[in-house]
Amino acid sequence: MSDVIRSTELQLSHLCERLPSHEREGQIFWKLRSRIGRNHFKYLFARARLRTGLVIGLSVVFWIGLFVLFYGGFEFIVDQVSSPGAAQHAQIIQFVFTLFFVSLQVMLVFSAGIILYGGLYASPETALLMVLPIRDERLVFYRFQEALFFGSWGFFLLASPMMVAYGLAVSAPWYYYVYLPAMMIAFAYIPCALGAITCLLLVSRIPHLWRIIVGGAAAAVIAIAYHSIWRTLDITGAEVLGASWFLETFHRFEFTRGEWLPSTWLSNGLLDAARPPSPDPTDLPWVESGKYLIVLLSNALILHLAVLWTGKRLFRASYSDLIARQAREVRPRLAWIDRVANRLMGMLSRDMRLLIIKDLRLFRRDPVQWSQFLIFFGLLLLYFANVDRFRQHRSDVSVLAWVNIVSFLNLAVVGLILSTFTTRFIYPLISLEGHRFWILGRLPAQRDTILWGKFLFAACGSWLPCAGLVIVSDIMLKVSPLVLLVHQVICLLLCIGLSGMAVGLGALMPNFSDPSPSKIAAGFGGTLNLVLSALYILVVVLLTALPCHFYLLADISEMSSKLLQRGYLNLWLGMGIGVSLVLAVIVTVVPMRLGLKAFRQLEV
Amino acid sequence: MIHFRCVTRTYGTHVAVRELDLSVAQGEVLALLGHNGAGKSTTLKMLVGLLRPSKGVIEVGGYDVIQHKREVSRLIGYVPDQPYLYDKLSGREFLHFVADMYGLTSTESLEAVGREAERFELTEFLDQLAESYSHGMRQRTVFAAALVHEPRILVVDEPMVGLDPLSIRLVKDLLRTYANRGNTVLMSTHTLSIAEEIADRVSVMRSGELMFDGSVEQLRQELPTAGESLESLYLALMRE
Repeated sequence: MSDVIRSTELQLSHLCERLPSHEREGQIFWKLRSRIGRNHFKYLFARARLRTGLVIGLSVVFWIGLFVLFYGGFEFIVDQVSSPGAAQHAQIIQFVFTLFFVSLQVMLVFSAGIILYGGLYASPETALLMVLPIRDERLVFYRFQEALFFGSWGFFLLASPMMVAYGLAVSAPWYYYVYLPAMMIAFAYIPCALGAITCLLLVSRIPHLWRIIVGGAAAAVIAIAYHSIWRTLDITGAEVLGASWFLETFHRFEFTRGEWLPSTWLSNGLLDAARPPSPDPTDLPWVESGKYLIVLLSNALILHLAVLWTGKRLFRASYSDLIARQAREVRPRLAWIDRVANRLMGMLSRDMRLLIIKDLRLFRRDPVQWSQFLIFFGLLLLYFANVDRFRQHRSDVSVLAWVNIVSFLNLAVVGLILSTFTTRFIYPLISLEGHRFWILGRLPAQRDTILWGKFLFAACGSWLPCAGLVIVSDIMLKVSPLVLLVHQVICLLLCIGLSGMAVGLGALMPNFSDPSPSKIAAGFGGTLNLVLSALYILVVVLLTALPCHFYLLADISEMSSKLLQRGYLNLWLGMGIGVSLVLAVIVTVVPMRLGLKAFRQLEV
Repeated sequence: MIHFRCVTRTYGTHVAVRELDLSVAQGEVLALLGHNGAGKSTTLKMLVGLLRPSKGVIEVGGYDVIQHKREVSRLIGYVPDQPYLYDKLSGREFLHFVADMYGLTSTESLEAVGREAERFELTEFLDQLAESYSHGMRQRTVFAAALVHEPRILVVDEPMVGLDPLSIRLVKDLLRTYANRGNTVLMSTHTLSIAEEIADRVSVMRSGELMFDGSVEQLRQELPTAGESLESLYLALMRE
């Protein structure tokens, strides 16, 4: 009997010995990624050309725009302030670089930690990988690579045009461009690794509180940033952008230049690499810069080991603890908001009221939807509430012109953010109903009622926060009552038009095969909705912004053209609003009619 | 082959599995039965390493599931109740990935994928991306992935969900013949007729505790007035 057991044990041991080595595991994951990537690219270029083209095209435009902006700024510093190598130049650039990189550094910590959490603890893929004989540290590293990529692509998109622009503006030597990618990658690795380790530690030690802690830390960082910006722009007795203002601000942000911060190593390394050779033969810029590169690389490598070590020790137990948390009991009940909504919609039919309240409840109980809404609109509110701090010399004609432009830009920003929400959340509504169409389809309600209900839900739900935001912006900018009124009219037209477009196109091009709203929104119909929404916003805002702009200037400066005299401007403004109104009717009625027709004939 | 020794798992203050003592021998098919929330899935998840026991020890082939996770994984093939496949991989690519992770060589991997594709009749759609698969196709692919490395133990959570009658017959035959070859099968199911047909033993759980562990015949002897079928016996046991 013992021989049989020994033989079985030997067989088992032999089987286990053949499991892949560390390196082999890495190769297998690399192969997995390559295959998924290859198949995904094939899919993108075969079936999602519009979206892919749009993303690439807009990214290129964004990159070039940033490059031009930064190049202009750096050229101004080189031409008007001081040239590379001078102490003042180094001081200014170091101030800009450290502030920029320290901000991104903090964001990278948060984004990498949050993305790693989603990939490691909330993804069904992890459950599959955990039952395979994969080392825990390899699994964590596999997920960390994703967090690194998705967390830092924004950093590269923002930082690369800035760094290239600086190199060209100061005629940096060739090794600046050689060091640049290595420094940026090593730098991005450090905060991402710190975010990953923090995520693992938080989930492992306090699985119940990690969300509160991350939320609290994010709120604290925002509060500190807000306070710093507020104080910077609130200097009395010193002209904004003047010498004393700059000195005061420079000292206020001393904490961003701490020698222990990776952002400082990166800034110093880039400054050294870009400066011209020194007459002192012992002072070699490429060596000095290389030292910073080594510091960044060595720290990144140590943190890489720390991620693996932490993952190996904490991941599996923390995963188990997290999914074994006791589920919080949620008892849905009729909230006051439902009762208020019900009263407000008293004039609507009962069917439509019920359908709208159902959508309202689904929206309220899905934090993914309202939290994104809250973050973006909250940030906008923060900006709008402080927008008057940028105003100086209210009597200056150019400042007044800028105020008017900014007020319309704010309106456009509200519209553009709204369009992303209508595309992401309203457009997929009909597609998502496909799975429960057996309920809706059998209800004694007209199908048109369902679609109009969604339209009213979207239009009314978006109008309140958008109108509120635009009013805050206008009050802070102290625009004239006429402009405020125009803004409110345009805001209403935007909400109606964008909602009509999203609901109509969503019904016209439903996707019942995909249960994920984000994937539905990312398809052809969603992308088309986003593009058309952006065009609609731009046209409507421009149609009223230009007449308003000249109308305001007509009061305070002489206009040379007869067509820009007050009488004509009234006509232009009236026509602008009129055309916007017609356009709003078209973008609402046409998609809704097409959507209604398709929805009536829908068979699921 | 499998030993649960005084295993407890809690979810906060709720005890999902309480002091479970259960063994499954080599060559045996054990069906784990119980109402929803009885602790069946938690038991299987602890066995495959997705959950850790709050207390107690689980051994598979002499290996502790916590201390020797990789070794235990090599011995087990797991079919979850909600199968996961990479949407942007074909079934073949997925099976090769799993085979690679179990340390099969390229030749062995090719052979194993071919064998499982034939067994589960996957050949027709094996080169299509998994995003186009129906639930039944996904379930069969996951079965193939669980068997690609010829594990000693097959752990199956709700094996028949989403399968058509032909596939159900295929899976039932597979589980029985698999155990007849000296392997071990542990499955959790609500389909009592299948448990009755293929299981050597049934273990019934209620509120995290093991109520009964033995053959259907033993259950009949314990409840002589309850009827003949496993369904009537199970319902009578639950009423007790």
